[in-house]
Amino acid sequence: MTLTKTLYEKDLYPEIEDAGDSDFARDCVEIAAQRLEKGQIDRRTFLQAMAILGAGTSVMTLGGGSAKAAGEIVIVNWGGPAVEAYQKAFGDPFEKSNGTKVVIDGTGPLGSKIKAMVDAGAVTWDVCDTGTGTTLVLQKQGVLQPIDYSVVDKSKMQQQFAYEYGCANYMFSFALTYNKKSVPSEPTGWKDFWDLEKFPGNRTLRKQPNGMLEACMMAAGRSPKEVYPIDIDLAVSKLKEIKDYVIAWGSGSQSQELFRTGEVVMGNIWHTRANLLNQETNGDVTWTWKDGIVTAGMWNVPKNNPAGTETAMKFIASAQDPEQQLVLFNAMGNGPANPAAANMVPADKKYIDPGQPENLAVQVLQNGPWYEEDSGVRNLTNDELSREKWLDALSS
Amino acid sequence: MHASLRRVYWWLIAPAVLLMLVFYIYPLIQVLWISVTDPVPGFGNYSELIDRSLIHRIWMTTVRVCVITTAITVVCGYIVAYAMAQVGERQRTWMMFCVLLTFWLSVLIRAFAWVMLLRTQGLINTGLQELGIIDQPLQLVRNEFGVIVGMVHFMLPLAVLPIYSNMTGIQDRLVSAARGLGASPWVAFKDVYLPLSKPGLISATILVFVFSLGFFITPALLGGGKVVMISEYIQVSFEETLRWGQATMLASTLLFSVFLSLALVARFVDLKKVFGAR
Repeated sequence: MTLTKTLYEKDLYPEIEDAGDSDFARDCVEIAAQRLEKGQIDRRTFLQAMAILGAGTSVMTLGGGSAKAAGEIVIVNWGGPAVEAYQKAFGDPFEKSNGTKVVIDGTGPLGSKIKAMVDAGAVTWDVCDTGTGTTLVLQKQGVLQPIDYSVVDKSKMQQQFAYEYGCANYMFSFALTYNKKSVPSEPTGWKDFWDLEKFPGNRTLRKQPNGMLEACMMAAGRSPKEVYPIDIDLAVSKLKEIKDYVIAWGSGSQSQELFRTGEVVMGNIWHTRANLLNQETNGDVTWTWKDGIVTAGMWNVPKNNPAGTETAMKFIASAQDPEQQLVLFNAMGNGPANPAAANMVPADKKYIDPGQPENLAVQVLQNGPWYEEDSGVRNLTNDELSREKWLDALSS
Repeated sequence: MHASLRRVYWWLIAPAVLLMLVFYIYPLIQVLWISVTDPVPGFGNYSELIDRSLIHRIWMTTVRVCVITTAITVVCGYIVAYAMAQVGERQRTWMMFCVLLTFWLSVLIRAFAWVMLLRTQGLINTGLQELGIIDQPLQLVRNEFGVIVGMVHFMLPLAVLPIYSNMTGIQDRLVSAARGLGASPWVAFKDVYLPLSKPGLISATILVFVFSLGFFITPALLGGGKVVMISEYIQVSFEETLRWGQATMLASTLLFSVFLSLALVARFVDLKKVFGAR
C-alpha cells in the first residue's frame, strides 16, 4: 500500500517531522494505516475515521493565496489515511447539514506553517488539527482566533479542554506503560516509575515536558489533585534523579520502537502506542490508567481564515457529534472528546478509551491554562520555561 | 590573459552568480535579518549566547562532539587512505568500493543499524556477555558514545577520499630516497611522507569538522534525546517554540563559526592550495 509506505518514511524521520503536540494527530493516522494494513480494521471504518480526523476525499495541495471556491472550508490534518477518515466522519456530515464543501488538506498543520501563513497574510486553512502545546504557542504568537463558545458547545467536551484559542477534538493520555516480562511486579504509579532499585532498567520519557511534568510531580509525592500548579524546579529535579536511565522519545513510533527493541522496561507514552504494543506483544507490554495524564487534540482557527470565522466555528460544532467521534475512536483508539460518546463505546473497547468514567476517575486532566501562565522568569510562560529547563536537564 | 577574454569569462559565470545571489545570498541575508528583528529589533537574541546556560551547554556539546569525531575520523581515515595508496590495484578497487558503499547508504539506515548493534540486547552486548567479558550490558548507545560512533562512521568516507587523492600525488620514490640515505622507516614517514600528505590531512579535517557542526539526524537518534546539538535546537526553536529570532540567531552563529574556523586555519595553511585552487 503506497499510503503506508509514505507513512513509514515519515516514521524514519521522526525528528524532522516532529512538530510538538500536533504530533499526536499524525501519530493517530499512522496507527490507523498500520491497522488497516494488518486487517485489524476494514477499509470502511478506516475511511470513516480519516474523515473524522479532518481528512478529505481529496488531498489538496493549496498554493498560497489561491482563489477559493465560494462555500468551501479547508480542514488541515496530518495527511495520509487521515485525509479520507476525516472526510467521512466530519466532512460529509457537515457538507450535508451545512451545504459547505469540506476539503481536507493533509499537508500537516505545523505550528510554524500556521504562523508563516498568518504573518504573510496568505491563509489557506480554516480549521487545524493540532495539540495543546501548539495551541498555547500559537496563542502567544497571536495568530489564532478565539473559539466562539456561543456556537461551539462547551458542555460537549471536558471543561479543561475548552481553551480560549482551541478546543478538544479528541482525548488521549500519557500513560505509565511497562513490559511485564522485564519488571518484577506491576508498577502502580509514578513513584514506582522512579524507583530504580525495585524496577531496574531504562525508562523512556518525552523530549518535551508537556505530559511529563505531571508525572514528575506525582513521583515527588503530590496527589493527582495537587499536581497543579506545577513546581517546575521540583519536577526537573525529579527528572535529574533518574536521567541516566532515561532515553527520550520524540515521536510516537519512536516510543514504541524503544519497547520493541527491549531498550526500555517502562515509559510515559501515549496510550494509543501502549495499546499497539499490547496487541503485538500479546499483552506483555501493557499500561495502567492509574495516574495517567489526559489531554486533548485541539481544533484551531487561524486569523483571517478564508471561509470566515462563522463557518469554521460551525464546523467545529458539527464535529462534536458523538457518533462522528466514535468513528474516529474505532479506527485510531483516541478517545472521543464528547463525554456523551463514552457509553456508546462497545464494551470490549472500553478499556482503551481514556474518557470512560472509570478510567477518567484515576487520571489527571491536564491543565492547559497553567502552561499559558507567566512563569515570572524572563517574560516566559510556564510552557516556555519548562521546555528550556527540561531540555537543559535532559542534555546535562 | 587579455582583458577582452576575461570579460567573456565573466559573462559565462554570470548566470551562476545570479542564481547564487537570488537563491542563496538573499535568503541568507533574510535569515540574518530575522535574527536581529524578531521578536524585537536589536541584538537581544545574540545576548542569549552569553546569558543562557542551556545555549552554552548545547554549544559545548556540539563543539566537544565535533572535535572528538573529527580527531577519530581523520586518524582512521588517514590509515585507510594510506593502506589504499600502498596496496595493489585489485585490493585498491575493493577498498574503494567498500568506502563508497558506506557513503551511499542513507544516514538513517546507518543510525538504526548502530542502534541494533549497540543496544543493551544487541549483538555487541550479548556477544561480550556470552564470552564472559562483562556481566551487565554496557550502555553503548543513546548517549554521547553512540553519537560519536555513528558520526565517525558517517564521516569516514569524507576523510578517506581527500586524503587518498592527495596521497596518489605523492611520489613513493621520495620515501625510497630517504630510506636510501639512511632514514629509518619511521623517520622516512614522519619527515617525508607525512609533510607531503599534509594538504590532504588538513582538507579532510576542515571538511569533517564543518560537516559535523551541522549534524542533525545521527545525534537526534543515537543520542536518546540527551545529546542535543545546535541543529536539533534550531529545529525545536523553529518548529516547536516558534522562536524564529532565536533559531536564526543560532543558524547565523553556526555559519559564523564555520567562517571563523576557516579563517583560523587560513592563518597557518594556504587554503587555496588545500582546496586545489592553486
